[in-house]
Parts: sequence; C-alpha cells; structure tokens
Amino acid sequence: MIEDKKESESYVGKSIRAKEARAPLIGKAKYTNDYTFSGQLYAHILRSPHAAAKINSVDVSGAKKVSGVHLAICGQDVFNHTNGITDHLNPAIFGGKSTRLPCMAVDEAWCYGQPVAIVVAEDERTARYAASRIQVDYTPLEPIIDVEKAVAKGARSVVPGWEDNTLIYVPFMNGDTQAAFDAASHVITTDVKIHRFSSQPMETRCYNAIWEHDTESITLYGTCQNPHPLRLVIAETLRMNENKIRIIASTIGGAFGLKMHGHPEEPLICLMAKLLGRPVKWVESREECLLIGAREQQHKVEMAFDSDGVMVGLRDNVLANIGAPSACPGWGMVFLTGLTMPGPYKVENIDVHMNAVTTNKPSWNAARGYGKESTAIALELAMDNAARQLGISPIDLRLKNFIAKDSFPYNSPTGLVYDSGDYSGVLLKALETIDYQGWKDKQAAALIEGRYLGIGVAFELTPEGGTIPGTMVAGYDSSTVRVGPDGTVRVLTGITSPGTHNATAMAQIAADELGVDIAKIEVLQGDTNASPYGFGNYSGRSTIVGGGSVALAAQDVRAKINAVAAALLEVEPDTLNLVSGVFSSSAKSDATLTFAEVCYASYTRAYDVAMCIDPPLEATRTFKPPGIRHTPDENGRINPYPSYSNAVYVVVCEVDTDTGKIDLLSLAAAHDCGKVINPILVEGQVCGAFAMGLGGALSEDIQYDANGVQLTKSFKDYVMLRMADIPPIGVAHHDCPNPDNYLGLKGAGEAGVGGSAAALVNAVNDALEPLGVLMHEMPLTPSRVWSAIQNANNGEGVN
Amino acid sequence: MSLHPMYARPRDLEQASQLLASLSSGAVIIAGGQEIMPFINYGVMMPDVYVDIGGIKALKGVNVNDDEVSIGALTVHRDIQSTEDIVERLPLLAYAAQQIGGGWQVHNRGTIGGNIVSMHPLYDIAPALLALDADVELLSDKGLQRMSLLQLQNDSSHGLGSSSILTKILVKTMLPNVLWGYYKLKNSAGAYGSANAAAVIQMDGEKIKSIRIVIGAVSETSVVISKALDGYLGGAYTLEIGRAIEKVCIDAIDEPLSDQQGDGVWRKAMAGIAARRATEMALSNLTTSSIKR
Amino acid sequence: MEDLLDTSALIQLRVDGEFHELDVLAGRTLLDVLRDDIGKKGTHLGCKTGHCGACTVMIDGKVAKSCITMAATLARAEITTIEGLLDEKGGLHPIQQSFWDEAGLQCGYCAPGIVLSALELVTDNHHPSAEDIELALAGSLCRCTGYQSIKRSVAEACVRMYPANENIN
Ligand SMILES: Cc1cc2nc3c(=O)[nH]c(=O)nc-3n(C[C@H](O)[C@H](O)[C@H](O)COP(=O)(O)OP(=O)(O)OC[C@H]3O[C@@H](n4cnc5c(N)ncnc54)[C@H](O)[C@@H]3O)c2cc1C
Repeated sequence: MIEDKKESESYVGKSIRAKEARAPLIGKAKYTNDYTFSGQLYAHILRSPHAAAKINSVDVSGAKKVSGVHLAICGQDVFNHTNGITDHLNPAIFGGKSTRLPCMAVDEAWCYGQPVAIVVAEDERTARYAASRIQVDYTPLEPIIDVEKAVAKGARSVVPGWEDNTLIYVPFMNGDTQAAFDAASHVITTDVKIHRFSSQPMETRCYNAIWEHDTESITLYGTCQNPHPLRLVIAETLRMNENKIRIIASTIGGAFGLKMHGHPEEPLICLMAKLLGRPVKWVESREECLLIGAREQQHKVEMAFDSDGVMVGLRDNVLANIGAPSACPGWGMVFLTGLTMPGPYKVENIDVHMNAVTTNKPSWNAARGYGKESTAIALELAMDNAARQLGISPIDLRLKNFIAKDSFPYNSPTGLVYDSGDYSGVLLKALETIDYQGWKDKQAAALIEGRYLGIGVAFELTPEGGTIPGTMVAGYDSSTVRVGPDGTVRVLTGITSPGTHNATAMAQIAADELGVDIAKIEVLQGDTNASPYGFGNYSGRSTIVGGGSVALAAQDVRAKINAVAAALLEVEPDTLNLVSGVFSSSAKSDATLTFAEVCYASYTRAYDVAMCIDPPLEATRTFKPPGIRHTPDENGRINPYPSYSNAVYVVVCEVDTDTGKIDLLSLAAAHDCGKVINPILVEGQVCGAFAMGLGGALSEDIQYDANGVQLTKSFKDYVMLRMADIPPIGVAHHDCPNPDNYLGLKGAGEAGVGGSAAALVNAVNDALEPLGVLMHEMPLTPSRVWSAIQNANNGEGVN
Repeated sequence: MSLHPMYARPRDLEQASQLLASLSSGAVIIAGGQEIMPFINYGVMMPDVYVDIGGIKALKGVNVNDDEVSIGALTVHRDIQSTEDIVERLPLLAYAAQQIGGGWQVHNRGTIGGNIVSMHPLYDIAPALLALDADVELLSDKGLQRMSLLQLQNDSSHGLGSSSILTKILVKTMLPNVLWGYYKLKNSAGAYGSANAAAVIQMDGEKIKSIRIVIGAVSETSVVISKALDGYLGGAYTLEIGRAIEKVCIDAIDEPLSDQQGDGVWRKAMAGIAARRATEMALSNLTTSSIKR
Repeated sequence: MEDLLDTSALIQLRVDGEFHELDVLAGRTLLDVLRDDIGKKGTHLGCKTGHCGACTVMIDGKVAKSCITMAATLARAEITTIEGLLDEKGGLHPIQQSFWDEAGLQCGYCAPGIVLSALELVTDNHHPSAEDIELALAGSLCRCTGYQSIKRSVAEACVRMYPANENIN
C-alpha cells in the first residue's frame, strides 16, 4: 500500500507512488517506438541463416527494384563507411583477445542471425519484403557450437587469425588450495550446467535515428541503458565527433542488461539516417531479441571441507559459451562470475578458472545478475550437494561457513572488499518468513502419502555499483539539481531508468534534502543534451550513485536557498525552519517567507539580499562511492564494487513424479539492500527478479540445433512464467546499511535471478532426495526431471 | 507471395465458394486470424489473396437438431466455453476449449473452425472432438460434404483453408451416463500442451461399458484409442486397470513428437499418464459445474 | 467475382468513442492501424505472435490481441484502448488508480494490456478469486513485477469499485 507522508516526516523510507508510473497507465508514456518523425523510414535487416559461412556475394539489386525502397546495402558497403564497433568492454584490456567488430558480416558470417544486409524503405512491410529479394551466396562452414569442441585442440578458430577460441582466460587464485584439498576430510564435486537464458524485456530494442541537416549531427532515439557512453561508440564507429551525437533514451520498457550497448544495429541505423538524410527506425522483432544470449556456463565446482564441515578450499573450472565476438559487454559476465567467488563463504583457498569461449552461436549481452547470478547458482547447488554428501542440513552447512557479521569490511580472496552484512541473519529471516519448520513438517507428512515436497534455500551475494578501470563502466555518476524562481525543482541526472522508477527514489531524496513537496520535483533522464555526463543504469547502481549525487547537489542548492532566506529574514541560517514550504526562524517569531518567495529573490536580487550566493539555484555534483578501489593491492587485485547487497531465497515446491512437473507452493526472500528508500519499489524488484530466476530454472531456454540454427524463435518456445505459475512471495528485509554510501544504500535492482534459480533447483533435489535424484543441469523441464527419476531408482522409476 | 495482397469479404457461402473456385492457388481463408497472423507478421506467409469469412452468417451460431449439436465454424473459443447448449450437451468440448492457451484475448477471437483447420498437433479442440466422434461439414466446388473428423484428419486433399470451407461441426449430445475427462499436461501456465488426453467412458452401474481415449500433443496427429481398450471393459475401475490403460496408450504412440517442451521418450510416457489422469477425472464424476464460464 | 477483390478494405471503427472510417491494406494488423493511423501509442508491440499481450485492446467489449487481429476483418467495431479508460474529467479509472497505488507496473510496457484484461474480468465478476484473476490475465506477460503487485492491484480495484467487497483477496 502506498503510504502518505505526514508533515515533518521524510519521503525516504516511504512507499511513495511512482510519479512516472501514471503515463504508462493511461497509454501516454513515450517509448522509443512511439516516436515517429516527418519523413520517417523503416529498416529491415537480413540475417545469416547459417552459423558459419563464407559470404561469396551479396546481390541487393532485387531489393532496390521494389518500389518504396530507399536503400539496400550489404556488409562490405557498410564496412567502407564505418570503423569497427567500439567495445563496451574491450577484452584486450584484461589480457584477452580482440578483433574488429563490424556492424554487418562482410565476407564471413560468424553466427546465425548476424546482419548481412539492410534495406530501408517507406514502411516496414516493404522493407521486409525487399529484404527477401536479396540474393546471398554462402558457402557454409562447419560450425562450432559446442563449447567443448571449441576448446578442443585443433578446433577451427571462429575468428580467422585467432590461435584458439578462448576470448579470455581469467584465473582467480588465492592461498594454497592444493594443500587445503590434500588436507581436507571431504572433497565434493558438483558439475553445474547453466543454460542460455536471457532477460527478454517486454519492449524489444528500437532505434530511431535522425540526421540533423542544420548541424550535420545525429540524434538517436534509442532503447539504451547508457546514453552518454553510447554517444562515444556511435561517434567512433561512424567516424564523427562525439559532440555531433545526441542520444535520447526515453521511457524504457524493461532492460535488465539487454539494452546495454554494443549492438551492431545502434551504429548501423545511425549510418542509414546519415546516408539517407531521413529519420530511420528499426524495431527489433522478438525473434531477433531471442538471438541475444547470456549465462551459458558449465562449472566443475569442487569444495573441500574439514571434518567439522568447514570449507577449506574451493575450486571451479568454468567454460562459458559466449558465442560470437560482440561489442556488447556480455562476455564480462564470465569475469564477474569468477570475481564473486566464493560469495558469502569464508574460505581463503580458492582456485577458480574462468574461460570465456567464443563459438558460432550468437553472442551474449549483459543480463540481470551480470555473472554474479551464475556464481550463486554454482555455489549454492554445490553447497546443497555438499550438505547432502556430508549429512549436514543445508542450513547448518551455510551457517557454519558464512562470513561472520563482525568481520566486515571483509577482504575476499579475489580482492573484493565486502562492505557489510549479516548473512546468517538474512538466512534466518528468510526461513522465518517462509515458515521453514512448518514446511519441513508438511514435507514429511506428504511423503507418507507418496507426495514429494521440497524446500530449497540459496544465498546470493550481489556486488552492486561496479566499475571497471579504463572502460566506460564507471562507478560514479552526476546529477544536477535546479530550483526555479517559482520554487519548483528540476533534477537532471546521468542515471537512466529501465523502468524501475528510480526517478521517484531520486525525487524522494531531493524532496527531503530541499525540504519541498515531492509534487514540485521533475526528474529528467536519458537525454545527453540535457543531463550531466553519466553512465546510465547497470549493476544496481542507480539509486546508490544517482541518489547520492542528487543528495549532494540538493544539499548545495539548499544551502544557497537557506542563505538567501536568512538574509531576507535577517536571521542566522541555523535558526531557519522549513515546514510545508514556509520558512520561519526560531530567532524571529513573527516573520515568515514561502520557499517560492525565497527562490524568486535568489534569482532577482543578485545585487542586494541575494548577494551572498552565486545564482542561479543550481548545482551539479558527482557521487563517487568511496568503497571502490582501483589501485591494485600487493596481489594486483582491485575492488571494483562499492557495495555488496545480499539475499536469501527460499522455494517450496512439489514435484509430480509421474510427469516430472514442478509446482511452486511458496516463495520467500529476505534481503539486505541497505537503507530502503521506497519499500513498494524495492519489493517490486525482489519479486520481479524472483520470477525471472524461476523462469530461467524451469523453462526459459534459448536452443540451437547442432548446426547452430536458432530453434527458439518466439515465446511459444521461450516460455516465461505467467501469473498462475507464481505463488505469493514473502519479502523481508534485513538491512545492514553500507557504511560508505549515502544513507547506507547498497542497491536493490539486480539481485535475485541466481538465488531464486538455485533455490528452485535445491528444492527439487530436496523433494526427490528419497528417490536418489540429484540434478545440477538447468532448466528443470518436466522431461529432464522425469528422466532423472527414471534413471535413479535403478530405472524403476517411482511406484 | 505478394507485397500487395488482395482482400475479399464474401457475403454468403455461395459467394465465398464461387470466389475460392475462381482463384488459383495463393488464396488463404481468414477467420479470427489468431493462427495465421503470426506467420504473416513475420513474413513466413505472404498470401496473394485473403478471403475473410467473418461476414458469413451461415458459419455462425450453435444449434441443436434432435440430439445433434451443430457448431458453426466461426464460433469462438469463449463461446464454446459458455454457450448453454455446449456446456450442457458437450461439457468435454467446453472444458477442453477452456484449456486453450493465449488467454481470453485468443479465446475471444480464435474460432473452432480455425483451430481444426490448423491441424496443429498441440491443440486442444481436435482431441476433444475426436473423443466425441464428431463430424464436420465442408463446402468445396464439389458441394457440401459431411465426414467424420477422424476421416478429415487422415485426408490430405480436403483443401481446407484455401479452396474449401469448414462450415460446421456436428456432435451428438453426450448421453447422461457418459463420463468424461480431459487432462492437459503443460510445463507451465504459458506453455503449449505436452500431452493432452480426452477420455469418454460409458458406465453400466459400477462397471465400465466402453472407453474411448484420444491423445493429442504427443504425435503429429491425435491418436484415437478405443478397440485396444476392450480388454478392460466389464469390470470396475482399479488402479491396475488404470496402469494397463496407461500402457495401452503409450504403446499406441509410434512416432512421438520432440520439441522444446520435451523429448520423444518423455512425450510417449506422458501419453500414458495423461490418458490415465483423464480417465480418473472422468471416473471422479466430474460434472458440468466445474466449467468456468 | 473479381470485383469482390481489392488491395484494401473500408472499415468503420469507433476507437475510444471517436469514429474513424479507414481504408486499410490487407494483411495489416489492428495494432498498426491503431498506432500508426490513429495515433494510439498506448497499445504496444511486444512479440507479434500473440503470446505477450502487450498489444491487448478491447474489441466490442472483449479483449483481443491487436497484433494478431487483421484490421481489414473488422468491418465495424468498437475498440477500447488504454487511452479510452479515463473519465470525462480526465480522471483515472479505478483499475488504473489501483495499479498506480499498488505499483502494479514497473516499466509499464505490459500495463495497458493487463489493465484492459482486468477490466473485462471485473465488469462481469465483482468478486474474482485469485484463480479468476490468474485466468483473466493468463494472456499477458510481465517481466518486471513477478505479478505479485498486479494481482494485488486487481483485487484492490474490485474493492474500490464494489465497496461491499472488503473480504476478497
Ligand atoms: C498465444 C496462443 C496460444 C494458443 N494456445 C492454444 C492452445 O493451447 N490450444 C489450442 O487448441 N489452440 C491454441 N491456440 C490456437 C488457437 O486456438 C487457434 O489459433 C485458433 O483457434 C485459430 O482460429 P482462427 O479463427 O483465429 O484461425 P485463422 O488464423 O483465421 O485461421 C487458421 C487456419 O484455418 C483456416 N480456416 C479458418 N477458418 C476456416 C474455415 N471455416 N474453413 C476453412 N478454413 C478455415 C485458415 O485459412 C488458416 O489456415 C493458441 C493461439 C495463440 C495465438
């Protein structure tokens, strides 16, 4: 329920209705595709039907003949007009490989769906029809689809000229892992397979580029999470100056990482507009959106325990099938999966090997969790497996191995510095929320009736607000707070919103800092010509750095307003009171001034009473979370995250052993995101991530056939959960404020996909333990669960 | 394949059939569009001519003549679920129509005729109608023709959708002593069926007099199983009989489908489970009251 | 026979109370006509295969997916889009208000379709159970909320619209 703020109370901490949620409800929000300009043209992209093929020739003449077509060009022509796409994260910076990333395939297609030619026409239907008239002569090559084949000796290189297919190998090693394993009482190995599933926002990508004839510049209306950095990419790729590009990210219909940039269509559509001098729009189809992969990793997790069940060593070897090279930051997820090891567990000796392997599958982009969800899946499946093998309850094993709450700040063996936390407290809170013991009793009773209930828990540590040195993934951000002569407030910020209502959170902060009614605040995001330089949204950073910078700027402006108010009232600033938009002073009982009057005076009386300030009432400030450390420590390690949110997810399910189908019965999450600015918004983030993780664990799966041809082309096959699938979710908070960040913020948007997926798998394994079933390969489709049941029980199945 | 397809909206059946006869190949009948529009949107299908049958009155409405229910091909799923005559006389069909995916949006526009003509292996209407031994009526240049749905399913020359029109579905009212069940196994709420089974059982007191089971979503076309079940008639239902039915139904599947919902081995096994569950649902005496309108 | 054929069809739509006579090309979707010809941008494109429900509108009072409805087949129809739900004074419909209050949306892309499905539900059913709500909204996907707040919003709307309803959940 929405709460009302009482006078003298603050907005922060209240469930304030999101101002920006009204427009979509009345159909007036402006998503990128809602913009149409005079002279609007539409693009359609012809894509490779082969995973790997030589392109012998592309004949666009058939398309050009179709009436209504303005342009039809192939990869070679586009190549001549452009540079390679600037990497979002260049793997070479980290010792990996890099290659020129063309907007379209030129003489070789390296994955199914890679752009091969593009048509621009009067309308979409004509463009698509004309594209079907393009003749491409391919010589198919043997595709490399399987990650093991890709790393096998002598495998063909996906990228001509590379000596092997490993884009990057990153080891994370600490302590003496070999010795720890040698001395251990138990070593438990868990092979975890995470499949390809991506974030699939309801709004697909859309780019609408305009060539501005007067200034010879480009305006791009685009579904992008990081408008300012994208500006540089477009400029470099199109060989233009960065100041000739303007990006407008209007209302975004969900992003979850998929709209971070590096996509070939971004510069490509801009180029079309430039070549034609007309606005050109491209709307991604769902089939195209399903080309974007993420998360496909296989782990070999080995955990060494002493005789008390204390983890003494951790090994993992990870092969990630990241698909073809791409300028998108997807591959970085692999790096993060390793960096976040060993999550919440106190173990010094680690030996983790991350291999990001290039194949002829389509490439990844970032997806909610950014690799940290995969850490959680691997670790939490392994922990449950260990608990089972050791004969300890999965709860006790975790409690025994968590980093203790008095050990923060905690130096992780990969070099991270965890700011704060009470992991045991979060776990216990989650168990209480779900009524763990109650469900355990029900489980036992059900088993007697031959029904298989399971309860699974999983922890997810989600470092938030990340930044990587030398890249446009920055840790800081900036905001401007501008108070007008009428006392209304404009907040401009470099932070963008993927649809999470972070503008409301920033407005709450600004309203409190300025002492104004939140209705007087407008937040503007996403226009590079208006907002101060910023990095947009990713890594659960928006409220941490956006909120922090808004607070700093608002404090500066408030100081100016206070100074003028004090001058007008002829009192000392520290005697001022601002209540309901009216200034008064404890030093002068009768005199009052409205906030608006003070603001007006600040603008108009610069040479007398307002002499004490620099007009206008405006400040731009940057928040640089202090927890980040980019100077390498003695082992060369950095701490790229300022904040370590964490959570526990609990899933209760019942498995139908006849069919393998999983029914969800109850769900709960307890999390620590630091100070909660707006409970109803945070709850929404938790529940949304929960559903996404469950969908991933149960059914969402992007499949390719053995030749690398896309099988999953629509929501018919990429099955996301619907309302009826998801029981009520209990959400609890167990907050340990971040000691370094404004208000103790930790980030609330990114966490949950891995923890919830892992909890589901653990719940299913718990349910089927009496049958001897143990599964560590996702997704747990009924057919997979059923086969596991058949194969356990000596092929007898259940009776 | 045309960028600028033609469109026609015939007034009545006569005009429609004349029009279809006059058109060479490339014509596509459109009813609710729920099936073909996705293909058109993606350019997978680019017909030269659309023949919109939506304006033809003769294809609408549900009528009862003696004990036969006649359902116009344009009847939408939502009406199948709620029309009194269907709910009372053909509760199995009403229930199966309710299991269709896509939500109310699809139920409000998708027609029973379009569903049948699509002949999509995963759909729900055919198994239900086959269990009820339904007939269909076709109109082509050969005139009106009545045949069983089973016959239609095995006839590849019917020309439905381009040269002939499915006009109505004719089903005998279910007798009061007939029990029915429909079980749809789907991986999650938004998934298509992985195994759909319709069961129609006639009882003689406690004893099973006849059983007819139809399995959908497991093979390319629905499989009707009745004779093979003869050995289990004459007695009361027991779990053993249930298991035996399960086995018969599994054995009846020769070439199981394999898709993203699940592989063939599982599908085949699920044919049995769905059949047994449909049977058990029937025997638990499910009445029309469980149908949500 | 040939005279029956044309590359377009004349249709008459009353959209959110406003009359439109349009000559639409065969094969075009109602979604495209609403968005591009009539300017109803509140109706969204999400998948073009009928699965996601972002394009949901009402045709003659019943929800439909406008992306898989061919405009030419609607010779005469009454269309309600999300933009037609406001009252004469521009006030929110109670369902819209409840969605706003209960955070029944985040990015908002699916919200118009979900609100219209909820409207069809509560018009006939003043006391929907949780299961009724699940059934009525089965045609829509939401990627942000995990549906919790959506369910709450629909229930809350019923309480507000039919005040005798306090006990539903
Ligand atoms: C998201 C989604 C989920 C679905 N899930 C299910 C499900 O779970 N179970 C299920 O059973 N169905 C399901 N369906 C399919 C739906 O039920 C059918 O698409 C629908 O019934 C088709 O009817 P229509 O009138 O819209 O067909 P149209 O698209 O108009 O036509 C379909 C085909 O039939 C032909 N045709 C139509 N009417 C006639 C006629 N009278 N005579 C001759 N030819 C004709 C057309 O030429 C075309 O080839 C789903 C559909 C969608 C979009």
